[in-house]
Amino acid sequence: MNAVSRLGAAAMAALVAAGPAAAQETVVWWDFLSGGDGVRMKQLIEDFNAAHEGQIAIDATTLEWGTPFYSKVQTSAAVGEAPDIMTYHASRIPLAVQQGVLQPITEADWQAMGLSASDYDPATLEAVTVDGQVYAVPFDTHPIVLYYNKDILAEAGLLTEDGLPMGLDSREGFTATLQALKDHGVQFPMASVTADGNFMFRTIYSLMGQQDGELMTDGEFLAGDNAEKLQNALSVLAEWTEAGLQSTYTDYPATVALFTSGEAAMMINGVWEVPTMMDAQAAGTLFEWGAVELPVIFDHPSTYADSHSFAIPANQGVEMSPEKRAAVLEVIGWMARNSLFWATAGHIPAYGPVTQSEEYKAMQPNATYSSLTANMIFDPKTPLAGVAGPIFDVMSTYFVPTLNGEMDPAEAVEEIRAELNDM
Amino acid sequence: MLRNTKRETLVALILVAPFVAIYGLAFIYPTVQMFLLSFTDAPLIGQGEYVGVENYTRLPDDRRFQTALWNTGYFVVLSVIPGTLVAMAIALAVDRLKGRLQSLVLALFFLPYILPVSVVYLIWDWTLNFQFGIAMHLFDALGIQRVPIFKSTAWFMPAVALVTVWWTCGFSILLFLAGLRAIPAEIYEAAALDNAGRWTTFRRVTWPLIWPITALVLTIQLILQLKIFDQVYLFSTGGRPNDNLVLVYYIFQRAFQSDQGGRAAAIAVVLFAVVVIVSVFNFQLVRMSRGRAQ
Repeated sequence: MNAVSRLGAAAMAALVAAGPAAAQETVVWWDFLSGGDGVRMKQLIEDFNAAHEGQIAIDATTLEWGTPFYSKVQTSAAVGEAPDIMTYHASRIPLAVQQGVLQPITEADWQAMGLSASDYDPATLEAVTVDGQVYAVPFDTHPIVLYYNKDILAEAGLLTEDGLPMGLDSREGFTATLQALKDHGVQFPMASVTADGNFMFRTIYSLMGQQDGELMTDGEFLAGDNAEKLQNALSVLAEWTEAGLQSTYTDYPATVALFTSGEAAMMINGVWEVPTMMDAQAAGTLFEWGAVELPVIFDHPSTYADSHSFAIPANQGVEMSPEKRAAVLEVIGWMARNSLFWATAGHIPAYGPVTQSEEYKAMQPNATYSSLTANMIFDPKTPLAGVAGPIFDVMSTYFVPTLNGEMDPAEAVEEIRAELNDM
Repeated sequence: MLRNTKRETLVALILVAPFVAIYGLAFIYPTVQMFLLSFTDAPLIGQGEYVGVENYTRLPDDRRFQTALWNTGYFVVLSVIPGTLVAMAIALAVDRLKGRLQSLVLALFFLPYILPVSVVYLIWDWTLNFQFGIAMHLFDALGIQRVPIFKSTAWFMPAVALVTVWWTCGFSILLFLAGLRAIPAEIYEAAALDNAGRWTTFRRVTWPLIWPITALVLTIQLILQLKIFDQVYLFSTGGRPNDNLVLVYYIFQRAFQSDQGGRAAAIAVVLFAVVVIVSVFNFQLVRMSRGRAQ
């Protein structure tokens, strides 16, 4: 236990001692975390239940990620059958607010949780805010990072003194690094999820952010020179494909396999793959590796991120009792204070005091890439955005042919703009 | 004994009532609601404002709707007749086998039919995956360029149609086998006595006598394939979904991704109309050709 969580536990103990003995509250919990992070979340829930024996018990269910989860939340909230607390992607919150499935987080709630909005990065907090009202409490941010095989890069003489890949500061520099790897005999200098446009949205949107590009400006998609910026972003990746520097038509599992098997020297992927690498390395089946903020291909660093947050559903026709609400808020507060463990899943805890702690700063590779929190960009604030949302599908349809050399970036941008504004 | 017709009617009504009630509740009522919903701008859950026929009038200019309509038709062409012919050919072959061997071969052909669609998807993804698929290693060995089958628009529909035929033809084979066994052996004996060859026997005896089954299989396949969704959804997730849209997929997108219940309902009504029209047309065609075959 770290200092922060000890403090929290003490506060909770004081709170419980002061109040009269109450019946145990059961908090019904839904999440969509089924991978390596799901295991860690179950551990956190167990720890919470153990620390609140006789007071609060979390009854957790894990559901299918994506559209199935969000459809179920919407339908169950409409008939008053939603859970008491659920995980929610920040990118989906605009749609959720339009559907009326979330309860706002009030000032009193923050106090009850023992947290403060000022403990959060402004960009992350903004991502869960609609029209000035906060609708969820961010638990983490999960950006994409550049993974690299230190053994291969060292062998090709492409590591800096700090053990980072060379050429992270410019388009020419990074392309030169990839080319040097190719010349060194590496089959795939870069493993990219080129078969999955949904996934590539994260990379491409980051590259747009590096040029201060916006997907949506005052309700219009790709207004002004933003189309050109999207085209620039696509061109870089199309160029890598043309030069044979990245894997083509590779889906998500294949991308991870190419990297972990050593066939690919680098990979752009989510931080949630960190536990995969950790576990493989612990088992002695992996090379030396690192993870670092995305290279600066354009003007300045920028990385796309989303946030897993905790939200309280608005159950139609069912009033939440004050005791239940207090229990839910205690869950959220406790989770935030104990989110250091969540960092072992690769995610960056959203609660500031945790990432500022010495324990977190000693964690690797988390500490190396956590510098990117200063340069995070989130999805545009529209009900059309978000994981498994309509924008993803439009993008995916044109990213896949473009990234595999079947379609010209300019044509793809034209089609994307037409289809986005058609929604 | 005099029959109490009034009483009989009452009993009949009571016996029929549970079915009528369930049918009305689970089919008629939702269908009527769907029609009403299609004239509103309702979200997925809840009420909407009446917007007239706007949800319909915007469909002709809707690019995704055009894609979906075209792909659905294309898929039906690729899967219905080929699927029926393949099933018939396999049934004819299996029918020639005897005893345990026949049961074994039939079981092998029927096996894919009992698989859930998710398993079918995994099997074919393992086979045809661009980086790690088994078939791609075969391509490499033969010196053929690898093909990203489920990521290219040219290959997508034919490949999904092939998978669908592989998956579903077991059931059609069973229907055909039942039909073949219903043909009396005497007719074949008579044909043999008349010195009819294999092809003549098939054309003059088997084909006309099995036609009712063929028509049935065609109709079932037609209605089933117009409603294609699962395979297309699974194979195109993350790939090029909007290029591979079919009508039910588009309904899903509008309703569950975009939260537009009214617009989704309008597309569902169009699909409903298409299924009705095509089925009636198919029925008439089959009836006409049956008259000619006899």
